[in-house]
Parts: sequence; structure tokens; C-alpha cells
Amino acid sequence: MAELEAVRPAPFSTRDIPARVQLLAVAWLRWRIFVNNTFRRRSSSKGHAVGLALAILVRIIVWPFLALLVIGPIGGSGYFAWTMIAGDHPQRLAPLLAAITVLWLFVSVNGQNVAAALSSFDPSSLIRFPLRFGRYLVLRTFIGLLTPSTIVGCLALLAAAIGIGLANPELALPALAVLAVYALMNVFLTRMIGAWLERWLANRRFREIFSALMALFAVGFQFLNFQRAPTHAVGGRSTWVMNLLHSSGAGLRWLPPGFAANAIIRQSHPFAALAQFSALLASTALFAAVFAIRLHKQFLGEYLSEGASRSANKSPAQRRPLPPSRAGSTAGPVPLAVRKQFAPIVSACLHKEWLTLRGNGVQMIGMLTPLVFVVILNRSVFAGHSTYFLPGAIAYVLFGVLAGLYNVFGADGLGVQLYLLAPIRLRDVIVAKNLMSLSIIAAEAGMAWALVSILTLTPIPLSTQISTILWTVFVIAVNLTLGTVRSIQAPRRFTPGQAQQRRTTPTNRTSGLLIMLVLFGSMALQFPVTFLCRYFGNPWLGVWVFGPLAVVSIAAYVLLLLNADRFILAHRDVFAEELCKI
Amino acid sequence: MTTPAIDTTDLTRRFGDFTAVQDVNLRVQAGQFFGFLGPNGAGKSTTIKMLTGLLAPTSGSIHILGEDLKQNSADVKRQIGVVPEGMALFGRLTAEEYLRFVGRMYGLDRATTVRRTHELLDFMQLADERKKLIADFSHGMQKKLALAAAVIHGPRVLFLDEPFEGVDAVAAGTLKAMLQRMIARGATIFLTSHVLEIVERLCTHVAIIHRGQLVAQGSLEELRAGAARRASADRGEVTPPSGRQDRSLEEIFLEVVGTDRTGNPAAAAPEQELSWLS
Repeated sequence: MAELEAVRPAPFSTRDIPARVQLLAVAWLRWRIFVNNTFRRRSSSKGHAVGLALAILVRIIVWPFLALLVIGPIGGSGYFAWTMIAGDHPQRLAPLLAAITVLWLFVSVNGQNVAAALSSFDPSSLIRFPLRFGRYLVLRTFIGLLTPSTIVGCLALLAAAIGIGLANPELALPALAVLAVYALMNVFLTRMIGAWLERWLANRRFREIFSALMALFAVGFQFLNFQRAPTHAVGGRSTWVMNLLHSSGAGLRWLPPGFAANAIIRQSHPFAALAQFSALLASTALFAAVFAIRLHKQFLGEYLSEGASRSANKSPAQRRPLPPSRAGSTAGPVPLAVRKQFAPIVSACLHKEWLTLRGNGVQMIGMLTPLVFVVILNRSVFAGHSTYFLPGAIAYVLFGVLAGLYNVFGADGLGVQLYLLAPIRLRDVIVAKNLMSLSIIAAEAGMAWALVSILTLTPIPLSTQISTILWTVFVIAVNLTLGTVRSIQAPRRFTPGQAQQRRTTPTNRTSGLLIMLVLFGSMALQFPVTFLCRYFGNPWLGVWVFGPLAVVSIAAYVLLLLNADRFILAHRDVFAEELCKI
Repeated sequence: MTTPAIDTTDLTRRFGDFTAVQDVNLRVQAGQFFGFLGPNGAGKSTTIKMLTGLLAPTSGSIHILGEDLKQNSADVKRQIGVVPEGMALFGRLTAEEYLRFVGRMYGLDRATTVRRTHELLDFMQLADERKKLIADFSHGMQKKLALAAAVIHGPRVLFLDEPFEGVDAVAAGTLKAMLQRMIARGATIFLTSHVLEIVERLCTHVAIIHRGQLVAQGSLEELRAGAARRASADRGEVTPPSGRQDRSLEEIFLEVVGTDRTGNPAAAAPEQELSWLS
């Protein structure tokens, strides 16, 4: 046996490992993960060159849009800060800073899932190394700091400081110093909220409540928006915004945005400015402390999951014997109506899909929320455009549901091995999954249709209705076909309703962008066709366009189903590896 | 009297109203090759997580090498190596990068880290795969890498959760030899495994946990003697015990976990269930 230096136990040492060594090691780790994620592909990845070319192409198309989303808030912050100071409205600075914080928080909370999926590194796993708590706190504060929320937030604050400096050069340095602390405050605030959310979201019930609250927030905001400005009068809306700025200014005086704004604008009263700056520092320290308390629990080995399996506590004697009638069943109690209608494999898979859906409250909430938006769309975007309302509403409610068709095996994870091993036709499994999706789609579309019929004061023309049905069939069939293909070619394992997910592969990310293009493309097709109907004065044009498209797309789907078993077997390496790799 | 390598007092862990581990008092002397056994769901992994600082106990205390784990977790973690249940590797690093990272985290200087990385990769027969992403490793290769990472800093106590699962026979033989070499040099090894033959061959001392409670603890000889005593008592004999002293660990294990806390047979008669199986 080769002599190993490492197998010699090291003498007990209480000499501390230098902080620099451990912090640099983690920084190096992050760098290597970034490099490997960017430049290396899994050895099993096929079609590397094609995939890379597609990835580059998609990014060329998508990144400019993302850049606009980044440049907007940054440019806006600089501009508004400049106009507020130059226009002698310094009291409006606090609402501006509050808006930046809200944006920061919103992007951060919504980006957490994406960040977790992309990084392939869970910083809480660092507790197994010999770290002191102080270092763990530093690492948890700085790991993942280069996220869109921090970058956009910091650049927006920098732009605001520049705007203030341009408007009044005397305020440039104080603004820079105060907004730097304000940025730090935002970092700790988002970290604090993120850490507590992580704790709470480990509980399924809280996840459902949180999803409902987020949906309510979005819906409530939209309701508020159209209640305040029912018409498209820009003046009306801007007046409302100005009123909001004025009314919120007083309340913000006692919050960090108010402290920061007053610390900048009250430079003529140095003690007052210093007091405000101290209050800002104190709130930063408070957020850091609350964040540290949460992290300390993690550091000591807190268990975040929902609880250990209670089955372990049951003695075998407590197990109920299976009733003889079900002893040979693999699917459990399948409803009689389902069993009568479908083949046993299809009905068993359908039942399993139903059980998965029934236990996922978050998905249920996600299905109901778009219907509320249909009401909002009627009062805002589609107000006065009844021809577009029906297809618009259907497109809106179907968007989220159709996206799920592109990864139908993801929630099965390791369980897909059963499909590959069992003496069944995989086509039956796909049919069952698609039937469940179609039931959801039909329910959503039906409810949206009913809502539109109620909300529209004039009857919807028959041509529009038939055209919309054909278009819906086309969209569903196209997305079912491509979705099934991508579900087999590039599956991604995920746990329904869980915030933190397994990381995606670069193939999945490129695939995700392509899926968005197909989804948008197939849905957006309705609008130019509707426009052409109006332009040529032929309301039946849509039927002639979407009728053949629907037939062709259904034929493509049937063709895929007939070849599904062969297709899965041809891709079983990727299929099994992505879903089954531990 | 020497300080035990692992010493727990009334170690308890609850998850809500479910008690996974209850009042466990473990004592593992330095230099012992200690096997920790139990049926599925008995609390082995929960105990190992608590002993390595990954999970906080609900109550009770843990001392590793005389140090309180709660008070001096960083010092204790520096002295221990762990191959956890899920291995906790970073899939987007190469094997070489991972070992270098782990070495630096344990405070090894750069030159030592690089030297030991190469030694360990050679030893584990992973040298040809050093530039390959860990995500592309087979389960057995990942296990070997996790073990290499656990020993790179020369730990005095090594915790291994199912270390031979998925490892081929050749590699398993090499690993066993390495572990025995560590024992010979004064390290302590705490191992869980479902393969009782491995535990019987490697371990000098064993503890058995069942439904969260320690039901047996001692050297293999002590466990055999205890089993013989119980057999004699069942037959109503008085000392000295006349039961077999050469029972296998498997027999002792099945006897210890084969009854529930009230003394009733735990398993229902097998012929009652699964009667349809040919």
C-alpha cells in the first residue's frame, strides 16, 4: 500500500486557521464553479457545438432586453434624483430611495430560486468545515452578492448620487457616503429577509400562504392601478404618482429611506444630518444583527426540512395488512370512472398525477391567480378592445400552464426509472401526463372564457369564437408536441412547491429560452391574424389560418405519440441521467 | 483515565413530536474502530449528523476529544473528518479542485494541499479522472473522493456513513487497509454500515441503536457474552451462562432489534403477508 501522509492523525491544534486562507478558499471555489459552469460541459452532453451556437444566438436576442430592464431603473434613479434636487423638491428623495429598496427586494426575492438553481453551491453546506461563526457570517453575506438585485440596486444608488452631485456639487460627497451605507443597509435587509424566508418556506403550509400573499400583492397592485387611473390619461396617472410621493414622504421620515434622504439634504444643519446618518447606521446594524441571529441557528445545525419521516416510528405490528382486493394493485385506489375510461396504465399514472397536484397548494394558487388578472385585463390593457379580449385572456391564463408541458417528468425525479423498467408502453405514461395537463388547461381556458363572456358587454362574434378555439387547439398541440420532445431530450429534476431547486444544466437554460420563444411565438400569432381580419374586413380569416394549423399540429402530436417509446429509448441516456443522478 | 474520543450524554433529537434519537450515551475510546448499527430509520444518520455538528441536538451534550462540540465547534471540526450520508460534494468542481479546496479550508498550506491531493488521487485510483467534473463521476468514484476529502487534513476522528456503499471490491479492500492503518496510528473511526460482515471484520467495538435508543454497546466479545447471558436467562439457567459464545454479529443484531420495547415480536408472521409472491 502506498504510504499516505494524510492518514497520519495531525496533533491537536488550537491555533486558529487564518481567516484569509478560508475566505480565499471559498472565493476560489466560487470562481472555479463559475469557470466550470461557463466553459465546461458535462462529458455526457451531446451536440455540444450546436448547443453552444444556439445558446449564443439566444443570448444575443435576449440580453438586450435584459439590459433594458437594468438600464431603466439605473437611468431613472439618476434622472429623478437630479430633477428632485435641481427642481427644489428634496423631500421626494426619500420615496425614490424607498422605491429602489422595494425594487431591490422584489428582484432579490424573485431571483432567489434562479440563483439557487444556477449556482450549484449551497453556502449553508460550509458549516461542515472548521469555520468560526464570524467568518461564516462574512461568507454568507458576500456569497452570491453579485446577483442582479445587488448590481441593479447599487448602480441605481450610484446613479442617484451622481444625479444629486450634478444638481448640487456640494452634496456630491455626502450623497456618495450616505448612499454607500444605504446600499449596505439594503444588502443586510435583503440577506435578512432571504434568510428568514428560507426558514419559513421550509414549511409547506407557509409556502402556500406566502404564494397566496404574493399573488394578492400582485393582484392588489393591479387593482389599485386601474382604480386610480381607469383611463389611459397619462396626466391622471402621473398625478396619482405625485400624490403617492407626497403622502409617503411623511411616513418614510422614520424609516431608512428617510434617514438617508435627510442625511443628504440637511447638510446645512450638520448635527441633524449626523443624527439622521447615525439612525441609518443603526438600522443597518439592526438588520445585520437579525440576519446574524438567523445564521447562528443555521451554524449550530438547524434542521430546516419539514420533519423526519414518522413511518420510522411505527412498529411493523402497527402496519395495516393490505386488503386482498388491493394487494396486487400498483396504483392504489383509482376512481372507478377513470378505470372504466382508460387503460390500466394510463389510469394508474393519471391517479398518481392527480395525487401530486392535489398535494401542491402553491400550484393551485398559481392556477387561480391568472383568472383574477383576466378581470384586470378587461379594465386595463383590453379596455375598449373586445375583439382581442377573448384570445388575450385565453393566452394569459394558458401561459403558465403551457410552460409546465416542457418538463413533465421533472417532478418524478428518480421515479422515472420505474417507467423505464416496468413492462409498459411509455406512450401510456405520456398520454396520462398530457391528459392531466389538458384537464387543467381545459379548466383554466373554460373559466377564462366564461369570465370573458360575463365581462364583455357585447356578444362575442361567432367567427372570433371559432377562430379562438382553433387557435387554442393549435397552441396547445404545438406546445404539447414540443413540450413532450423537450421533456424527453432535456428534462430537469425539481421538487414541486419547493423554493430551492436542483441546478439546471446549460442545455436546460438554453432550452428554457427557446421554450419562451416558442410559447410567446405561438401565442402572439393570434394578434397579427386578428389585426388582419379587421384590416381586410373578413372576420373568418382567422378560421382559415388556424384551422389548417390546428390539424397539422394535432397530426404532429399524434405522430410523436406513435413514436414515443422509440424516441425515449433513443434519448434514455440523457433522460435517465438528468433525472436519476444523485 | 484517557479522554474518550467521542462522549455523548443523554443525546436527544426531536423533529416536532417525533423523537429520532433519545437519551443516547455513547462512549468511544481513542483508537477504537467503532461500528454504529441499526435498522433503517433507527437514528444512525441523525446521530452522526449531531456528532459532526451538522445538526443541533434538542438536548444533551457532545464531547469530541474532550472538547464540547457546541462551545468549540471550529476546533472540533478541525480534528474530525466526515463522509456524510449524501457525500456533499460540489458537482461543478473537478476532483483535484475539490480536494484542494477542502485542504485549504482545513488550514493546510498550499504545498501540502497539492502534495496530499496528488497522493490521495493516486491512492484512490482517481488520478486519471482528476480533471473530470465530479458530476460525471460514478457513485463509487464519488464515494472514494468523499473519503479522500475526509482524510486530507489527517483527522483524529473519522466519521463514515456507509463508506463502502457502491464501492467496488478492489477499492473497498484498499479503503479498508487505509482505515486500519489510520487506527494503527491512533485515529478513531466511527462507522455506520448495513453490511454486518464488514463491521464484524473491521470494528473492535459496536453500538446498536433501535428506534432512537441505544440497545447495546460494547466490544464484540462483550456483546456475545451478553447475548449468551440473555439466552441462558431465557432458559431459566443460573450463571455461568451456557449459551453460545461464538454468535455472529448478525445473530446478535437480529436478536437485539428483533423485539420491540414491550418485548413483543416486532415482525408479523411473514406468511401472513405477500402470500401472492411465488
